Amino acid sequence: MAASAKRRRGWRKRLGALARFTGALVIVGGLYSAFAPSLYAQEAEDNAIDSEVVKGQELYDTSCISCHGDNGEGVEGRGPSLIGIGSGAVEFQVNTGRMPMAAQGAQAPSGEPVFTEEEAEWLGAYIEYLGGGAEVPDDLEILVEDADTAEGGDLYRVNCSSCHGFAGGGGALSSGAHAPDLIGVSDEELYQAMLTGPQNMPVFADNELTPEQKADIIAYVQYIVNDDKDPGGVFDLGRFGPSTEGLAIFLVGISALLLATLWIAGKS
Amino acid sequence: MSAHNDENRPDEVDLSDPKLTRFEVYREGLRRDDIEIIHYEPRFPKPGTGAEKRMERIVGGLFLGAGLFATLFVVAYIWWPWEYDGTASWRDPQTWYTPILGVTLGLSLLLFAVGVLTWAKKLLPVEELVQDRHDGGSSTEDRRIAESTVDTTVEDMGLKRRPFLVKAALLGAAPLGLAAVAPLGGLIKDPGDSLMVTAWNAERYNDGDPVGLMMKDGALVRPDMVSVGGQITVFPAIEHGASNEFANAPTLLIHLREQDAEKLRENLYPMYQEVDAMWGNFVAYSKICTHVGCPASLYEQQSQRLLCPCHQSQFNVIDNAAPIFGPATRHLPMLPITVDEQEGHFVATSDFLVPPGPAFWNRPSLPEEDEE
Amino acid sequence: MKRRNGNADSLMTKAGGELDDRFKLARPARVLMNKVFPDHWSFLLGEIALFSFILLLLTGTFLALFFEPSMAHTTYEGSYVPLQGVGMSKAYESTLDISFEVRGGLIMRQMHHWATLLFMASMLVHMMRIFFTGAFRAPRETNWLIGILMFWVAFFEGFFGYSLPDDGLSGTGLRIMEGMTASIPFIGPWASAALFGGPFPGDSVISMIYIFHVFLFPLILLALITVHVGLVFAQKHTQWPGPGRTEHNVVGFRMFPNYVMKQVGFMLFIWGVVAAMAGLFQINPVWLFGPYEASVVSSGSQPDFYVMYLDGLIRLFPAWEFRMAPYFTLAPVFWPGIVGMGLSVLLPLLYPAIERRFTKDRGHHNLLQRPRDVPARTGVGVMVIVFWLIGVVSGGNDVFAETFDISLNAMTWGGRIGIVVLPILSYYLTYRICLGLQQHDREVLAHGLETGILMRDPDGRFYEVHQPLAEPDEHGHTELEYSGAPVPKKMNRVGALPPTDKGFFKSIEEPSDNGGTSRDEIEAGHK
Repeated sequence: MAASAKRRRGWRKRLGALARFTGALVIVGGLYSAFAPSLYAQEAEDNAIDSEVVKGQELYDTSCISCHGDNGEGVEGRGPSLIGIGSGAVEFQVNTGRMPMAAQGAQAPSGEPVFTEEEAEWLGAYIEYLGGGAEVPDDLEILVEDADTAEGGDLYRVNCSSCHGFAGGGGALSSGAHAPDLIGVSDEELYQAMLTGPQNMPVFADNELTPEQKADIIAYVQYIVNDDKDPGGVFDLGRFGPSTEGLAIFLVGISALLLATLWIAGKS
Repeated sequence: MSAHNDENRPDEVDLSDPKLTRFEVYREGLRRDDIEIIHYEPRFPKPGTGAEKRMERIVGGLFLGAGLFATLFVVAYIWWPWEYDGTASWRDPQTWYTPILGVTLGLSLLLFAVGVLTWAKKLLPVEELVQDRHDGGSSTEDRRIAESTVDTTVEDMGLKRRPFLVKAALLGAAPLGLAAVAPLGGLIKDPGDSLMVTAWNAERYNDGDPVGLMMKDGALVRPDMVSVGGQITVFPAIEHGASNEFANAPTLLIHLREQDAEKLRENLYPMYQEVDAMWGNFVAYSKICTHVGCPASLYEQQSQRLLCPCHQSQFNVIDNAAPIFGPATRHLPMLPITVDEQEGHFVATSDFLVPPGPAFWNRPSLPEEDEE
Repeated sequence: MKRRNGNADSLMTKAGGELDDRFKLARPARVLMNKVFPDHWSFLLGEIALFSFILLLLTGTFLALFFEPSMAHTTYEGSYVPLQGVGMSKAYESTLDISFEVRGGLIMRQMHHWATLLFMASMLVHMMRIFFTGAFRAPRETNWLIGILMFWVAFFEGFFGYSLPDDGLSGTGLRIMEGMTASIPFIGPWASAALFGGPFPGDSVISMIYIFHVFLFPLILLALITVHVGLVFAQKHTQWPGPGRTEHNVVGFRMFPNYVMKQVGFMLFIWGVVAAMAGLFQINPVWLFGPYEASVVSSGSQPDFYVMYLDGLIRLFPAWEFRMAPYFTLAPVFWPGIVGMGLSVLLPLLYPAIERRFTKDRGHHNLLQRPRDVPARTGVGVMVIVFWLIGVVSGGNDVFAETFDISLNAMTWGGRIGIVVLPILSYYLTYRICLGLQQHDREVLAHGLETGILMRDPDGRFYEVHQPLAEPDEHGHTELEYSGAPVPKKMNRVGALPPTDKGFFKSIEEPSDNGGTSRDEIEAGHK
């Protein structure tokens, strides 16, 4: 049963891909321009001939459509709609290897990206073309350089630490989901994540946290997670807090001292 | 002295005998302490052999090594750069200050310890001794004497003959004990309604004007400041509203998606329907967990759950934040909100309808809560 | 006794004489120096607690020179960049200053914290040794009671210390304590208001718990430790059964020089381990937690490990709340938090009396029992350990869930079921294992050791040759009584095969140049 259903899906996918490849541009462009403001319509027309969008759609129709549906409209119970999420979200999900997802689950884990960064850009362009969305500012580097780490720390603790942990180590969410750690995450990815609220993460758009405030948070995260060496030791015990400290006192402290008692009281 | 005569014990020696060796005098001391030597011999039967010398060198080396590391500790303490100047990658020497101090001090102590222990284990004589334990109580004689001593004391005081005095003393001492602890009453404070009324109460904290919702930096929150699928922590817009002075006030303002807001409107408890607690697709829940009071602030915008990281209570955002998992028993109270027509920012139309935060003994359970 | 040439010996004699003239020391000093102590590795576990407590007093005094127990508001202007300009309490600021502005302050803070964890961990291990060997039996019940009391005083001492820096983690801990306190029937809200000087968090709780942390609790601990050690000294230490060891003697070595040297060496060793750990492993990085704010919490917030089992119980307890509207509410945290803690104090205190009730054993015991010989007690002990471990793991179940990619809800349900089922299962298993070990001991005593040599009799049956431990009767049986001491289980234990290595670091069989000691001589030395 399951195997035949799978086959049927595959067959449908191939047929759909063919049909959409010819018709999608006209239909989507037409449908979309009916709803979108005129400015977007103008852009949509410009983009329609943009080869990036076409290439992005090709990729989309082979790798994303089974869950996110025709034209990014989403499939109930499998994948959310992608209209309006913008290229930042797509590039974040694809470049961190979260998408395409290997299997349905509570959470898309990050991993080796399947697509190149260029391909991710194409996909982003396509989704952008479907419904606009938020963008990473071009001067992010300058913003982060001028950022106020202490201010960022304050914002991080109120908005981020409840899920990602005091030191960016991540944390568990309900029913198997989790907030990922922030180790080695680039400025751009941090910004994209805040901007778009991937998966269970709430959205922190520019009206909640200004680009400057986001840059503050990025500066703080990079400082404590990636730049700062822990001054209190050679090992930071994973910065998990008291749980690994408790483990260490038994595995290192008590173990060493038990060996010592055996030696001290042993026959010599 | 000895509890039982053991035939193996050496006889008592005459201490006035001038021919006694030091060891014989020493052994007489052991005998008087009911100790018998089972085994006692020098670790190295022939003094001055190579093995003994080598062991001495090892122990000596350990002590000197301890001294060396202790010196390194002091040198590092004084001369190693230690001041934290903000940039602190692993290349900066000051980030190694604490590890260097710990390792040098630790090694110094460990080497000295191993030196002392090696001395005890490898150079002290091999010995095994037995000592009598004298377990159990005193002899019947001693007990009898002690008993009559106590009895005499009681008799002298006349405790049995003067029951009035005993009772009077007890009656006098009891209030005295009370008087000794009474000053602790200075600690007692009437909790009043502090667990039930929060800073969102307009009458008490804002001269009757509805209290605005502000961010931590004091900015008043307008609807356009929270995008769909977003949430922010808001505080009562009064003086020190975001400080720990009002620890029960922090609230989470969530902008729901249309379909989620629709579901929540359907599920809304009657008491919240009555006061029209939501504003559009916005809803505000107390951030203080109803279990033991941690901020339940892990908002999952897809599964629409709020998770408390302390004890893992989970609340359903689209069902009045009712608990769906973990030890919490009550929903997170909803703060009734609306938007001020003139100013365009959020205000609380009233305080929480039920006390926020953890349950306490005299927490009034409103009849509304049973309708949940 | 006067001598002209004042050599060292005569100086000592003179000084000793002067002292004795005044304090009459000759006899008590001799008795003290001659006192015999039994030797076993497991008798050194309590010392870890004792010596880490001394280290806590030393490092704590250093920290108290710089710490300011005040919740007054201030703005941080120290050298840790990511907190510059952040508003915080003076307690938190001074903790940061100890870490960044005081030379050597951070190593002291970390030593203090590691020594605390070691103090608590070693008390638990020591308690386990006492329990499983039956060392708490008469006449030593008093010392068991004192030990349990010390553990709980230290528990609060540690928790208050964890709360003092007023960082995000310690504030969260205090918040939970407030919730627990307020749940107590009748007095709850009043007790909480007394503790926090009004509504949580108020501005006085840090200075209040400070006086408990630096004065009251250490004083109580010091007094209890003095009595505890004094009683061990006066009642004389227990010992393991063995040849020549009875209920009425102590076999071991003298206090001076052997015992004292080992104690001093072990003390320095413990301090060395703590110092090295404090240098190698970062502990409680308060600068990362930020100041306490009622609206802020970090994922993975946990108490220190000794509180964690209680936190785990609170996490696992079902959502049961009793209400009698509109009069009172009994919060779910009351059962695991207040009742659970109360039972954790009470049951261990009562255990010696409970066991006496069952065994009807009123005698004095100075010989220890092997855990296998008392299966019921050993089973109860393992049961408690399993219960405690599940509690601890559940206290960090979010960290486990995240690290090992398990669903948080599954962890909670696993804990809920496990904490009921596994202790019972482990009691049964332990009981069976103890009986099995007992039986094997009896078998060896009756039939001898397994030699590993297989023989075939004329009928074709295989059998293993056994080495009897004594002269057997005509049936090949030996009538040896079990004495409570370990029974030899290997041939080399009875000298039939060359001994395995006895040395700790290297074999003592190695030929050395100390005059060519033969193996026989070494063995003679062991008898």
